[in-house]
Amino acid sequence: MIKTVKLTKIFRTDEVETTALNEVSFEITKGEFVAIMGPSGCGKSTLLNILGLLDNPSGGEYYFLDNELSKFSERQRARLRKQNIGFVFQNFNLIDELTVFENVELPLIYLGMNAKDRKARVEEVLEQMQIMHRKKHFPLQLSGGQQQRVAVSRAVIAKPSLILADEPTGNLDSVHGEEVMNLLVDLNQNGTTIIIVTHSQRDAEYSQRVVRLFDGQIITENIRQRVL
Amino acid sequence: MFKNYIKSAYRNIIRNKFYSAINIVGLSIGIIATTFILLYNQNELAYDRHHEKHERIYRLESNFTISGKHDLFAVTSVPLGPAFKLEFPEVEEFVRFAGGDGILIRYGDKEFYEDALFYTDSTIFNVFTHEFIWGDPEKALTEPNTCVFTETLVKKYFGDKNPIGEIITNADNVDFKITGVIKDLPENSHLKYNGLFSIATLSERIGRERFNSFEPGAFWNIGSYTYILLKENSSIENVFEKFPQFYEKYMKSIGDQINASFQVMATPLADIHLTSSLSADQPTGNKAYVYIFSFVALFILLIAAINYMNMATARSANRAKEVGIRKVLGAFRSQLMRQFLSESVILAIIAFVIAIAAVYLLLPDFNEIAGKNLVFGFSSTPFILLEIFVITIIIGLISGSYPAFYLSSFIPVKVLKGKINVGRKGGLLRKILVVFQFIISITMIIGTIVVSKQLDFLKTKDLGFEKENVIVVGVQDTAFIKKTPTFREELLQNPNIANVSTSTGVPGNIRQIIVMRVEKDEKISTPAEISDSLKVSNVDTTGNTDTTTFQTGSSMVEHALNLIMIDYDYINLYNIEITEGRNFDREMGTDLEEGVIINEATARELGWTDVPLGKKIDFGIDLDGSARRHTKVIGVVKDFHYLSLHNKIDPLLMFLSDRPRFFLSIRIDENNQRQALDYIEKKWNEFGNINPFDYDFLDKTMDEMYEAEENIGRIFRIACVLSIFIALLGLLGLSSFIAEQRTKEIGIRKVLGASVESILKILYKEFFILIIIALIIASPVAWWILDDWLNTNFIYSTTIGWFSFVLAGLLALVIGLLTISYHIVKAATTNPVDSIMCE
Repeated sequence: MIKTVKLTKIFRTDEVETTALNEVSFEITKGEFVAIMGPSGCGKSTLLNILGLLDNPSGGEYYFLDNELSKFSERQRARLRKQNIGFVFQNFNLIDELTVFENVELPLIYLGMNAKDRKARVEEVLEQMQIMHRKKHFPLQLSGGQQQRVAVSRAVIAKPSLILADEPTGNLDSVHGEEVMNLLVDLNQNGTTIIIVTHSQRDAEYSQRVVRLFDGQIITENIRQRVL
Repeated sequence: MFKNYIKSAYRNIIRNKFYSAINIVGLSIGIIATTFILLYNQNELAYDRHHEKHERIYRLESNFTISGKHDLFAVTSVPLGPAFKLEFPEVEEFVRFAGGDGILIRYGDKEFYEDALFYTDSTIFNVFTHEFIWGDPEKALTEPNTCVFTETLVKKYFGDKNPIGEIITNADNVDFKITGVIKDLPENSHLKYNGLFSIATLSERIGRERFNSFEPGAFWNIGSYTYILLKENSSIENVFEKFPQFYEKYMKSIGDQINASFQVMATPLADIHLTSSLSADQPTGNKAYVYIFSFVALFILLIAAINYMNMATARSANRAKEVGIRKVLGAFRSQLMRQFLSESVILAIIAFVIAIAAVYLLLPDFNEIAGKNLVFGFSSTPFILLEIFVITIIIGLISGSYPAFYLSSFIPVKVLKGKINVGRKGGLLRKILVVFQFIISITMIIGTIVVSKQLDFLKTKDLGFEKENVIVVGVQDTAFIKKTPTFREELLQNPNIANVSTSTGVPGNIRQIIVMRVEKDEKISTPAEISDSLKVSNVDTTGNTDTTTFQTGSSMVEHALNLIMIDYDYINLYNIEITEGRNFDREMGTDLEEGVIINEATARELGWTDVPLGKKIDFGIDLDGSARRHTKVIGVVKDFHYLSLHNKIDPLLMFLSDRPRFFLSIRIDENNQRQALDYIEKKWNEFGNINPFDYDFLDKTMDEMYEAEENIGRIFRIACVLSIFIALLGLLGLSSFIAEQRTKEIGIRKVLGASVESILKILYKEFFILIIIALIIASPVAWWILDDWLNTNFIYSTTIGWFSFVLAGLLALVIGLLTISYHIVKAATTNPVDSIMCE
């Protein structure tokens, strides 16, 4: 499903050149649950952004669903992204001015789905995520755990084949964190490919494989048995 | 999708009440101002367009060239219209109007002086469009002694009853039968008549033959407005082309005799109001003001739009996250741009709704300020409403364009990580926009100051005579005119009456121009003529007044000059200064026939500045070349403003008459006005004047000559206050944002030991510099515009003066800095711990 070949990302400011990713090559097959770990500044998020089609690499090749994407325009990436990839962020990134329902509905709007189908789909997912009773609330009226549940709902609403989660439990206490991780495991069991970036060894335990980055390079790849 | 935009726009407006309010108030005011100005301009531009045939109607006008000088008049001679119809197949019909103001109308015990009554041809209703309430337009003015009144005038005399067939009487006890009643003329008609008398009346009185005469002399005597209706598909150019033959046939013989020529001019009916500026014209508008007001409206809207742009981009930090998320979720940039544009458009539409309601409520006040009678509504002005709506949408799009462009450009990876300091970016552009707003505001402040200064100048300038405490009474009763000397004596018995004088004109109303024969200017003559004229002067000073020498000799030339007939007391009453020679003197029996007093402008124009006294002027030139009076200059008065300050002081001759008609000027005691007026009225009636005692204070009448400027000044003042207010709203929003944004910087500075004063200094300095830059740019722009305004509209004007600029700058600075103080002082005095923690 995903394959990178010597993926490189270099950030340039006026005089300083920073190599965030240095010839990273790896492959993820459909249905995998992968955790990317490493210290701050190792390039985890940069890698996730490129995998999530939010950013272009400076060099190397990136294959997503057999398309080579490193030269795609923003518009092309946006089209591919909204159909295939869901995102979960550490700070939830919900739009404060929209209700729970509207936040979750948003990807469907951008996919051009009609209002009736949207409503049915959103309610189905909210029901599934047990947050239906909060659908008219605004994000700031919810607890952190509830907000992240909404964020996960939004990530899965368009039935993406890939979910990228950037420190999904970083702003949550352990109980809520566990809930969210369990949601991701459920999704994975239903066939969705999941990649998470995390500092937390506990979170990484949920994955099937851990990719460790250091200074923009992969240092180890452990295949592990899922804890369950 | 669009519903989603509206929802998000609505929530954003509600959530940011402070900024939304600033934007909505600003835009509403902008739209209100624009609506009023559009209404005003449309009214100005629609003058006389209610006449169905207006595209084929032209007013004929006169261009006389006498002694090489052009004199342009809105009036023409009586036979010109009929002769045009006769000679030019292009002309389908003509209508003439002769008459004017202050005409007495009597019905039963009701009698009033009426303005704007005209003798006119019965063809008027074929040419102009009038709605008849009673009467038949075909027959209404065909007979002598018939008249058609407007609804309002009829109401005044007859109430609600049908007045057809009723008889009214004028000052000369001539009866008129009412044969028609028309609806009142629309307010935007350049020639506003309240009543029309059949021209057949005049023709009957003067004698049909004489009235309808095509004698050459008749064409040189102007006094009536003439309108022609061209046939379909005819062009006025064709008429102009053939005019030389017409001139040759009807007018040339006299022209050659008096050394003058005549050229006809014509103005399309609908253009008269805004383009005409001829002598003897009806009050007209000014196209320049239509343009100026349009710009003012545009600028007010721009200021409001800039507020939106500034605040939207300044507050972009708050929107950045949303943009990032939407993009991650698959929004295209174009979709986000559409979203932000819909937000600004929705805001503009809210402002539109508020503004339209406000316009309804404020329209009566605006009408009062502008001196108009405008209407506004869905049914009455649907087109204007649509225009305003379109303008609203455009302003919404303009306001939203930059924020949409800017906000949608955020890169999600960066904004979601908080990596770019959004809001700081675009700081330079915001500063430029603020400077632009202040350039407009300061220009308007300077404009307002100078306009006020000019109005003040017009009202307080020393006019060269005393206009205060003089009442002017029109005198029409011929029997009474004969008694004026005794009437005068009687009035002077009262200690509250200082002086009484009769004349053919009073300041502000001296408009008679006549061709005279004057002694030739020795300065601009050829050497041979100089010796000739010197010889003549010698003859003159030796007392040899052989007038035939001057008539036949080359030393006299024709010259068109203004004149007024006055009595012995006029110059004293008005306190006009005599610089050389003397006033008319009752002791000198010859003054009546042989004396003339000139103003300095006459001496200058005729080149008599060295020795004006004794120079000869022949007055009352007949067609055979003989003169009724051979006069000599006995006095020179200092130039005084006998017309409004729009006109330069032209030469004026003052001849003596023992009983000049029309105007009675009475100087009364300032402190006992009531007693004086009561006494005059009592005597007026005692002397058996058949007309009511109706007076005006001269100073008030003269002030009214500047009503147009007064209206303009008022509109300008309001526009200025509005634009500054909107700009200040923007400044308030921006200062709030800047204070918010620099909270951390201020906190750190304070931790490091900065005093509140030093922080205030930093914050104020930023705005101070912006306003100063605006002042520096605005000053020359304002100077250029105002200098042009003063020069093109006034012969006599105030100086713009550096003080206006200093005052405008100070005003902008003070109110600008005061506005930002609230947020800035709050930011500077915040406890540093709070401000650092809030990051």
